[in-house]
Amino acid sequence: MTRRIEKACVIGSGIMGGGIAALCASAGVKTLLLDIAPFDLKDEEKNDRKAKQRIVQAGLDAQLKAKPAAFMDKKHDLSLIELGNLTDDFDKIAECDIIFEVVVENLKIKQDLFARLEKVRKPGSIIASNTSGLPLEKMSEGRSDDFKKHFLILHFFNPVRYMKILECIAMPETSKEVCDFVSKWGEQTLGKGIVWGKDTPNFIGNRIGVELICEAFKLIEAGLASIPEADAMFAKPMGMPGTAIFGLADFVGNDTIDHIAHNSYELLTKDEYRDIYKTPSFFNTMMEKKMYGNKTKEAGGFYLSGRGADGKKFKKVIDIKTCQHVDFDNKATYPIVEATKELKSTAEKQKHLFKNNDFAKKLISSMCVYSANRIPEIANTLVDIDNGMKWGYAWECGPFEIWDNLGLKDSLAEIEKAGFTVPANVKRMVEKGGTTFYKVENGIKKFWDFASDSYKNIPYSPNMVFLSNIKADKAKTVLGNDACSLVDIGDGVFCFEFHTKMNALNNDVINTVPKAVEFVRKNGAGLVIGNEAGGMPPAFSAGGDLKFMLGLAKKGDFKGINDFIADVHNGMKMIKYSPFPVVAAPFGLALGGGCEVCLWSDKIVAHNELYMALVEVGAGLVPAGGGCYQMWRRISESNVTPTDWLTVFLAAFQTIAMPMPSMSAQEARNKGFLRAQDRIVFNRDYLIGDAKKEVLRMVEDGYVPPANLPVKVFGQDAMGALDANIPDMLAGYKIAPHISTVVRRVGYVISGGTAYKGEEISEDAMLTLEREMFVDCWKTEGSQKMAEHMATKGKPLFI
Amino acid sequence: MREAYIVEATRTPGCKRAKGLLAQTRPEDLLVTTLKATMERSKVPYEAVEDIMMGCAFPEAEQGINIGRIAALMAGFPITACGATVNRFCSSGLEALAISAFKIKAGMMEVAMGGGVESMSIVPMGGNLPRPHPEWAKKDYTVYMSMGITAENVARRYNVTREEQDYFGYHSHLKAADAQAKKLFTEIAPVDAYKFVKQADGSFKKETYKVDYDDGVMADANLEKMGKLRGAFSAPIPNVPNSGSVTAANSSQTTDGAATNLIMSKEACEKYGVKPKVKLVGYVVAGCKPDEMGVGPKYAIPLLFKKTGMTMDKIIKDGLIELNEAFASQGIHCARELGIADNKYWEFGSKDAFINVTGGAIALGHPLGCTGSKIFATLVNNMQRLGKKYGVESMCIGGGMGAAALFELCD
Repeated sequence: MTRRIEKACVIGSGIMGGGIAALCASAGVKTLLLDIAPFDLKDEEKNDRKAKQRIVQAGLDAQLKAKPAAFMDKKHDLSLIELGNLTDDFDKIAECDIIFEVVVENLKIKQDLFARLEKVRKPGSIIASNTSGLPLEKMSEGRSDDFKKHFLILHFFNPVRYMKILECIAMPETSKEVCDFVSKWGEQTLGKGIVWGKDTPNFIGNRIGVELICEAFKLIEAGLASIPEADAMFAKPMGMPGTAIFGLADFVGNDTIDHIAHNSYELLTKDEYRDIYKTPSFFNTMMEKKMYGNKTKEAGGFYLSGRGADGKKFKKVIDIKTCQHVDFDNKATYPIVEATKELKSTAEKQKHLFKNNDFAKKLISSMCVYSANRIPEIANTLVDIDNGMKWGYAWECGPFEIWDNLGLKDSLAEIEKAGFTVPANVKRMVEKGGTTFYKVENGIKKFWDFASDSYKNIPYSPNMVFLSNIKADKAKTVLGNDACSLVDIGDGVFCFEFHTKMNALNNDVINTVPKAVEFVRKNGAGLVIGNEAGGMPPAFSAGGDLKFMLGLAKKGDFKGINDFIADVHNGMKMIKYSPFPVVAAPFGLALGGGCEVCLWSDKIVAHNELYMALVEVGAGLVPAGGGCYQMWRRISESNVTPTDWLTVFLAAFQTIAMPMPSMSAQEARNKGFLRAQDRIVFNRDYLIGDAKKEVLRMVEDGYVPPANLPVKVFGQDAMGALDANIPDMLAGYKIAPHISTVVRRVGYVISGGTAYKGEEISEDAMLTLEREMFVDCWKTEGSQKMAEHMATKGKPLFI
Repeated sequence: MREAYIVEATRTPGCKRAKGLLAQTRPEDLLVTTLKATMERSKVPYEAVEDIMMGCAFPEAEQGINIGRIAALMAGFPITACGATVNRFCSSGLEALAISAFKIKAGMMEVAMGGGVESMSIVPMGGNLPRPHPEWAKKDYTVYMSMGITAENVARRYNVTREEQDYFGYHSHLKAADAQAKKLFTEIAPVDAYKFVKQADGSFKKETYKVDYDDGVMADANLEKMGKLRGAFSAPIPNVPNSGSVTAANSSQTTDGAATNLIMSKEACEKYGVKPKVKLVGYVVAGCKPDEMGVGPKYAIPLLFKKTGMTMDKIIKDGLIELNEAFASQGIHCARELGIADNKYWEFGSKDAFINVTGGAIALGHPLGCTGSKIFATLVNNMQRLGKKYGVESMCIGGGMGAAALFELCD
């Protein structure tokens, strides 16, 4: 029988359960969300459905309010969610193909629930516990063989939508078919990164993560670094999120860290680092004082922030000797951190910290050694550990990748010198000639497998295409420069990749577009526009190169700006009218020019985490890479008549004049950026592969480029509407004066300039309007100031 | 010239736009309600009516074609009763009354009707298809300016403070709530209203119900809470006094409603044996700057007095004023300019009060084109109840005008 998840059930509507339900619904899966009926129901409420749903409703409401958003398209997603309580609706679980258990971490309660569940579940349905610590054996005690065959742990991290990891732990009885299915479903439908762990305490992510935190406790107690300095190093320079170590502990909750550490000490009796889990006395004092971190606002945690009596924000840090919060310079710089800013790659930065700072050296050594010693205890391969930390803790590199970055061979002596023992498996690897944990051969990424003492291919889904692997073979980059590359991704498909800072579209990128198009025309079947940028959030492209145009404007070279935009338009039209399909694969930030390049493509294959907007107005400019034209075209191409066009015009106008990036690809579709034919992909790693498949499918279907058709415009009446309303906004202090002149120009472009309503205007004429208004903006002092502010400070100047 | 006597005047309740009780009831049906009620209360046969002038500020869509004619036929008038739609924005209902009255005064008719209708729920303020003239809007947009901004301008230019505006609005509610409790709004014609209610199976059903009270009146109006609202049209601007002071609570409510009146010559009154309520003494309009249209009454009322030989003293002694509360800011400013700003003239419970004695549009609503006939019905009712000889009705008008009319109670 074909296994399919038509309906999921989530039992428990807390922050994790609610998050899992929101993700399933966002992914298009019908979801039944259940929680207990309140215990304290009054007699008159006992038959009141609404009263009985109070807890589950509150759980859903919390997800609806969650920031960052838990849902991707509230209207759509909510239509797939059904709420119920465990008293009245338990039998509905029989309709579900997968059941997530997300109730309180209490063995007895879970066992009782599973006993009850077994009686109603549909045969063959999967039961997954989201426990972060209870063993599978214990939870499934007393259950049937069939139950055990379909039982496993699927451990999501908070926030469920944004943390890529899905830790999967099976028991010996779990069927392989179920494991294989869950791997694929979790990866493709939910878009998660699958990590197979083992039934050991804290699995992978929290095992390594909490060891690091406990080691850091020891090192600050020894005085090797201050808390703020430690956090400054273990943030951006290490390729880790800004919360770093102590900020992370505060975020997660120090009580949780305490619980995990305590649990680890009790259970990990054979762990060579067991003593590290004995928390130091300053931490115990913090626990006595209930300094749990962000959740205890008054008591604080390692940090205490708030507003003083004077209304000013303050941030203090704990003094571990007194366990009191003391002032510290939040903007202080540390020489060791400053030095890393000069270095380009994360690898160089990590190496610099390791070589030049005792705290960093010991903490990195400890983490690397501990990780290597955990194989095969907690995971079969080092890839699983690296993925666990990258996807569960949002690290740029996992422990073994960091180790590779240090230079494995050189690091061994230093690690020993720092007082750590290099694990036997690593020593054996070096003896056998292994020089790095990872390497790429013929476009295939391999890892060192400790079990077989040899390199093995990393097992990827065939849907995944990684540019970084392909590019290891230099011949695959067929043309390019510092700003962009054209990469041969096989089967006649090429990928146009940007790789500037924030993937800004500079002159080099624009000048390469015609060459790339010409190359593919001669040598290929089609083109993908995509890249693999990292970061939180990553940037597909944050837009045009403001600094370049600002330089021209300051010199008064407006002809230069005009010519640059003319080049942009030529490039974009080549993308549209080239005789082969072009598929854009945006993700994360796709702003300004980064958005426009997608709008010109034949098709968009977007990651669901897509933050797309035409943000030029914030820099004092009108979108001029075809954004105005494309937006009007997309929104007006329906059956409405010019009589109704004010509404249509305002929809396009407001999208540009008051840009709010979409908070998901689904929202980008609702805003008109994505069309019906554009696709949304949940797994970021599938993006380029799926875009490539789309190219090949379009070729197979006999692709021909679109005709160059004129577009109907609203004409002069649009300006009447704007000029009758913008002064109200100015009088009401709702728009800044210069910005009002910029948005007026936006209106002029999308209404087709001086035209009668309903007239048709050619694409070229629309683009000319864009270009003229763009240059016109640059000629004003206001726009130059706004652009400079945006280029230097990264946010709009409201003048 | 002959006299024109108003023998009957009724109005529907004024109900809040979109969320109110009349939101889904079509404007024609609101109008039919008052047309019928006016005729039935007057006991004059339908056949007597020669013409019906109907005020409407946005005569389009459901209020379009010619609602004056359509509603008359729907109400059961014979085809001989003609009908027209009249638009002077906020004074349309008074303009309609005046047109009919002056036709009678001129001897061209014997029996005519005035009235007004506006469903702001169904036809939005500004209309469905606003199309400002591009070149004129660029040159001078003030004729298209939002009413809220004109009210802000009045507050800013003539120093009407937030506190004064809120206090004025608060008393509008106190007066209206008191009148409601005492059942003083006897001019109301209850409406057989309806709405479309979703059924359990997902289909919709038209459900009907009776509406006989103004649903925007707050019996529990709270001055402190009103003081916490943000500016509805403008944010506070640094160094601009009274900016951001016009709020939802000190502005008129957007409202659905209809009102109708029956006007007859002396001869017709005798013929049909009816006793008239008031006669129209005079009606004027006066222009002002569009961007502070709220000041209109300060020009219109003195002009009216000049033309009719009336004085404010006489009104204070033996009269009432319905000064349409489009916004508290313009109401207060006009009262100041007219020398009647003393709180005792309008505060709830004051024995000297003669302005908006049963509340105004802030509490009772301002259904644009209906308002002129709506507050007329209230004015006449209050004149009769309190035995006041004179009644003045005045309002400001979008685009920069004021209208004012003087009525005298019949013996």
